[in-house]
Amino acid sequence: MATKEVKSEITGAVWKIVKQPGDVLGEEDAIMILESMKMEIPVLAECTGRLVEIKVKENEPVAEGQVLAVVEV
Amino acid sequence: MSWKPEADDLAARRAFADALGGPEAIDKHHAQGRLTVRERIAGLCDGGSFQEVGKLTGKGAYVDGKLQKVVPAPYVMGLAKIDGRPVAIGGEDFTVRGGTSWGSDRRKGGQGGFVEDLAHEYRIPLVNLIDGAGGSVASATRRGYTVFPGVHGFERSVQLMGEVPVVSAVMGTAAGGPAGRAILAHWSVMVKGTSQVFAAGPPVVERSLGQKIDKEALGGAAVAVDMAGTIDNAADDEPGAFAMIRRYLGYMPRNVWELPPVVKSDDPPDRADEGLLTIVPRERRQPYNMRKLVAMVVDRDSAFEIQPTCGRAVITSLARLDGYVVGIIANNPMVNGGAMDVKAARKQAHFIQLCDTFHIPIVFLVDVPGFMVGLAAEQAATLREGMRAVYVALQATVPMLTCVIRKCYGMAGMGTTDKNGLDFKIAWPSAEWGSLPVEGGAAAAFKREIENAPDPAARLKEIEADLRKLASPLLTAEAFAVEDVIDPRETRAVLCRFVEAMQGRLATTLGPKLRAGVPP
Repeated sequence: MATKEVKSEITGAVWKIVKQPGDVLGEEDAIMILESMKMEIPVLAECTGRLVEIKVKENEPVAEGQVLAVVEV
Repeated sequence: MSWKPEADDLAARRAFADALGGPEAIDKHHAQGRLTVRERIAGLCDGGSFQEVGKLTGKGAYVDGKLQKVVPAPYVMGLAKIDGRPVAIGGEDFTVRGGTSWGSDRRKGGQGGFVEDLAHEYRIPLVNLIDGAGGSVASATRRGYTVFPGVHGFERSVQLMGEVPVVSAVMGTAAGGPAGRAILAHWSVMVKGTSQVFAAGPPVVERSLGQKIDKEALGGAAVAVDMAGTIDNAADDEPGAFAMIRRYLGYMPRNVWELPPVVKSDDPPDRADEGLLTIVPRERRQPYNMRKLVAMVVDRDSAFEIQPTCGRAVITSLARLDGYVVGIIANNPMVNGGAMDVKAARKQAHFIQLCDTFHIPIVFLVDVPGFMVGLAAEQAATLREGMRAVYVALQATVPMLTCVIRKCYGMAGMGTTDKNGLDFKIAWPSAEWGSLPVEGGAAAAFKREIENAPDPAARLKEIEADLRKLASPLLTAEAFAVEDVIDPRETRAVLCRFVEAMQGRLATTLGPKLRAGVPP
């Protein structure tokens, strides 16, 4: 099984973590929601798989390109 | 005496051309998951419509004056039809010397050449099927001198950009000239896994930079399409690319002196999709699916998205409203909250000029909080690229319609209106606008008042609440500063009526667009 890193597309902060390690993900599923540009920006799985790891905590600031989660595909 | 011997000779010579680089080279090409240039032309164009030009070109081998064999020129081109409409089409034959250029009296195509002259003279679209590695230093040993760059230049290719639709399909590995040729197109496509495009390939990169990288990692679709936007769209395989080319050309006029083709739509212009009433969340921080919104408004299944994977903060699609071709520019609140970053700005600017050139009216579905902010955005020159998008919008003369879905702020918002035309703006009840959003804006504008208040945080909230009361689009409509606020379900009907009504005006302003001045 290959793993895929899910990266932040934008600088902001983690507002809410929606999925937990072990959860099965669909392509359009939001793993977490970031807060940036005064908007709630969902971080989508982009492929079906299983969530292996969440690398950030709620309220933590994140940078563009930072790895947020790891998905097994 | 008949001319039968000569006719037989012609047939034999044509057979050599059909054989391309020979069975071995063709097998090798097929083994890489690629079609030959002849298979590509047959796969893309209407059956039997290809009228080849220059099939006899090549290097003949003679023994005692008798022809033994012809190695065909590595470029196949001619006139063909796509969905019944004529096109000039050509492509490199990779099975002959890797599709590199070959010395002929007149070029067949690639950069300039007969196929580009054909598109120019007959004012028909040009389709480039690109599969060549460009120049080779080996050619200097044949000539005895080195060639100045641009001897077979791009001047015709550039001229065509203002005259006829130009499509580039990168079908193999394109470097150097063919890669540059691929970019000189209104729309381009490549194939995932089997095509790559770069200024220079891995050997040159390693020699220049010491960087070891394979060709897929350097110029595959993940880089060239998704990340860079060098090429617009990616297809899963070659037939998929042909289907996309046919689709794209279906929205295009034959040339800039004509209007795009109108098809009879079986989707009623007054269809009111109930989903439009609920698609925008009342909580203004929550994003929604703008692609779904677009699909509900335009003719059923008519949207064809350009650059869907790059510059994703804005969605640019060719589509139809009551059968008339329109260009949809819709901000995507799921990415950057819809804020315009460099890639989105570049994409939007290109799309506006595409629509303006081919007399395709533009419909803006606006939800833009402004330009992207922050250090990374400033370092990337977002302001400059964003203002370029504003500039081209204000320079364009094709009619535009503005429908504000939610946010319309700042300079990015300004670039969504038809300032040179009717300046017709409609809005949904969810719309809000201004020079900048209340959040952030209030803290700056009322800084002293807030600081001097006994409870600054509470005062800020009060000021924001007061400002928000003024933000109703209905108040702006009372002042006729926005022309109308509509029930979201009426969007399609209103847009269809105005797009139909502007057709007469479009027909009176055909021809090339001259754009004076210097974009920022």
